[in-house]
Amino acid sequence: MKRGLTVRWLWQALVGAAMVFGTLTLLIALTGQPIGASYRILLQGAIGFPADPQLSPLDAWDNTLHDMTLLLLTGLSVAIALQAGLFNIGAAGQLLMGAFVAAWIGGISNLPASVHLPLTLLMGALAGALWAFIPALLKVWRGAHEVITTIMFNYLALYLTHWLLVERLKDPAGDAPQTAPVLASAQLPPLGGLMNTSWGFVLTLLLALLLWLWLYRTVWGYELRATGANREAADAAGIPTRRYLIVAMLLAGALAGLGGAVEVCGTQYRFFEGFPSEYGFDGIAVALMGANHPAWSVLTAFVLGALRNGTYNLHVVTGAPKEIATIVQAVLILYVAALRLRRARLEG
Amino acid sequence: MSEVFDVQLINTALRQATPLILAALGGLMSERTGVINIGLEGKILMGAFAGAYGALLTGSPWVGLGCAMVVGLFFALLHAVATQEFRTDHVVSGVAINLLALGLSTYLFRQLILPREERGLSSVVQGFAPLKAGWLEQLPVLGALLRDQTWLVPFAVLLPFALFWVLNRTRWGLRVYAVGNDAVKARTMGVPVKAIRYSGVLLSGVLAGMAGAFLTLASADQFRENMSAGRGFIALAALIFGRWHPLGAAAAAFGFGFFEALQMRLQGQPLFGIQLPTDLLLMLPYLLTVIALAGSFGKMKPPSDLGNP
Repeated sequence: MKRGLTVRWLWQALVGAAMVFGTLTLLIALTGQPIGASYRILLQGAIGFPADPQLSPLDAWDNTLHDMTLLLLTGLSVAIALQAGLFNIGAAGQLLMGAFVAAWIGGISNLPASVHLPLTLLMGALAGALWAFIPALLKVWRGAHEVITTIMFNYLALYLTHWLLVERLKDPAGDAPQTAPVLASAQLPPLGGLMNTSWGFVLTLLLALLLWLWLYRTVWGYELRATGANREAADAAGIPTRRYLIVAMLLAGALAGLGGAVEVCGTQYRFFEGFPSEYGFDGIAVALMGANHPAWSVLTAFVLGALRNGTYNLHVVTGAPKEIATIVQAVLILYVAALRLRRARLEG
Repeated sequence: MSEVFDVQLINTALRQATPLILAALGGLMSERTGVINIGLEGKILMGAFAGAYGALLTGSPWVGLGCAMVVGLFFALLHAVATQEFRTDHVVSGVAINLLALGLSTYLFRQLILPREERGLSSVVQGFAPLKAGWLEQLPVLGALLRDQTWLVPFAVLLPFALFWVLNRTRWGLRVYAVGNDAVKARTMGVPVKAIRYSGVLLSGVLAGMAGAFLTLASADQFRENMSAGRGFIALAALIFGRWHPLGAAAAAFGFGFFEALQMRLQGQPLFGIQLPTDLLLMLPYLLTVIALAGSFGKMKPPSDLGNP
C-alpha cells in the first residue's frame, strides 16, 4: 500500500513536471526564440547558473529569494484561509494596504528608532488584517461569498491607496506619484556578506515555522483545520467555527499585509503608483501546490520565485512576455486541483 | 441635479449594463445546473481579446464576435471537463481559469497586437456600427435610449425574457432546474445530468465571450491589459442579488450599470456643488457589489445542489 502510494506520487510529480515544461516550451516557441538558449537564459535568471557575464549569480539568487519571500507570505496567507475553508483571493489588496500603511508609518520622523521598524511592520500587518476582516465579517454574518468580496476589496484597495497617495502622502520633493522614502530606522537591513536580500527573508521563514507549529501542534490550529475540513461536523463538536473563520482571515490578511510592509521596508523603501501587488495572485499557486501546508509552501514559493525570475530574465533579454509565469502557474493550479480530488476519490 | 440625471444617463447605463447582463445570464445558466462559475471574469477577458483580434485581422466585427464566442466556449469546456470529469473544486477551477485568461490574454496581446503597432499598423478595432432604428428614433424616450447603441444593447435587454421563457417552458429548461436542485434525484428520473451540466456551462462561456466582445467591439475600440476590470465578479454579484432568476439577475446587472454610468457622469460634473475625487468615484461599483452581497433582502436561495459533484 505504502509503496503503491509512493509510486503514484512519483508518477503524478512527473506528469506535473511534463505539463510545466510542455507549457513553457510551447510559450517560448510561440515567441520565435530558440528554445535551448531560452531555457539557458531562464535558468540564469532563476538560479544564476550557467554563469552569465550580464547577471551575477548572486544577483540572481537575491532576486529569487526576494520573490520567494513575498510569494511565501502571500502563499501562507492563502493557505491559512484555505485551511479554515475560505478562499482568500484578496491577498493582492491586503498587500497594497500593508505596503501603503508601512510607507506612511515608516516615514514618520519623531518615533524612537528602536521601535520604528517593528512598529512599521506591525502596522502594515494590521492594515492587511483590517482589509481581510470586513470580507470575513460579511461571510460569517451575511453569507457573502468571500471570493467575490475579497476580489472587490482588491479594487477598493487599489483606488483607496492611490487616492490617499496623491491627496495626502505624496513626496513633496518631485512630481512623481510616490511617497517620500521611509527613514533609515524603518528599513529592513540586508542579510549582509554578499547578499542583498533583506532580513525579511529570515523573518518570513520563521513565520512559516511558527505557523506550522500553530496549525499542527496546538488545539487552536487543530480546531481551525477541523473548521475547514467539515464545518457542520466541527459545529456539532462544539468548535466555535465562526470565530475560527474570522481568525483565519485576520491571520491571512496580516500575512499579506506584512508582505507589503516587507517589500516597502526591505526593497522599495517607498509606496508608489502601480506598486507590485500581483504577488497576491501568485500566492494562490504557492498555497495550492503546497497543499496549504507551511513547510511545502516554502518549497513551492522557492520554485515559483525561481520561475518568476527566470521568465523575467527571459523578458529582459529577449523581450518575451513576462506573463509566461502566470500562464504556467494557472496550468499548475488546474493540474494540482484536479489531482487532489481524483486522489480523494481513489482512496475514499 | 437635472444636469446629472437625464435620459442620456440611462442611455449610458444600458451600455454599461450590457456586458454585465450577458455575463450574469451566462453565470445563471451555469449555476442553475449546479456548477459554480467564478471563471466568468476570465472568459470575458479572453472574449474581449479574441473579439478585438478577430476583428483586427478580418476587419469584420462579426468575425470578432464569433471568435470571442468560440474562445469563451473553449474556456467553458475547460471548466466543464475539470469539474465534471476530474471533479475539481468548482471555485479552484474558476480561479485557475481567471489566472490563465489574465496571463494568456496579456501574452497574446504582447505577441500579436503590440508588434502590429510597432510596424505602424493600427490596433483600433472596427467595431459594430450604431443601430439605424428609423422611425423608432423619433419616439420621445425610446429614441433617446436607443441613440448610438449597437444591436447588442437591445439584444441584452430582450435576452433575459427569452431565457426566462426557455427555462420555464421547455423540456431542457425544466431539466436544468431539476439538475440544479437535486442532481441525484434527477439522475434517477433519467435526466442526463452530465449532458445538462455541460450545456449550461458551455452556454455560459458563449455568453461571457459575447460580454467580452462587447467591450472591444461596441464600447472601447481596442484591447487593453485586464480590461474586464472585475466585471465577471460584479456579474456574479448581480446573479446572487437577482436570486438566480433571469429577470432578477438582469435587473440587478442594470442597477450596477446605472451606478457605473452615474460614476462616469460625476467624474466630469459636481454633485450638489461638490466635485468628488475620481479615485473614490471609481470605487463606487465595487463598493456597491460588496453592499449588494452583504445586504440580502429576504432569503437568498441558491440552487440547492450548487457546487456538489
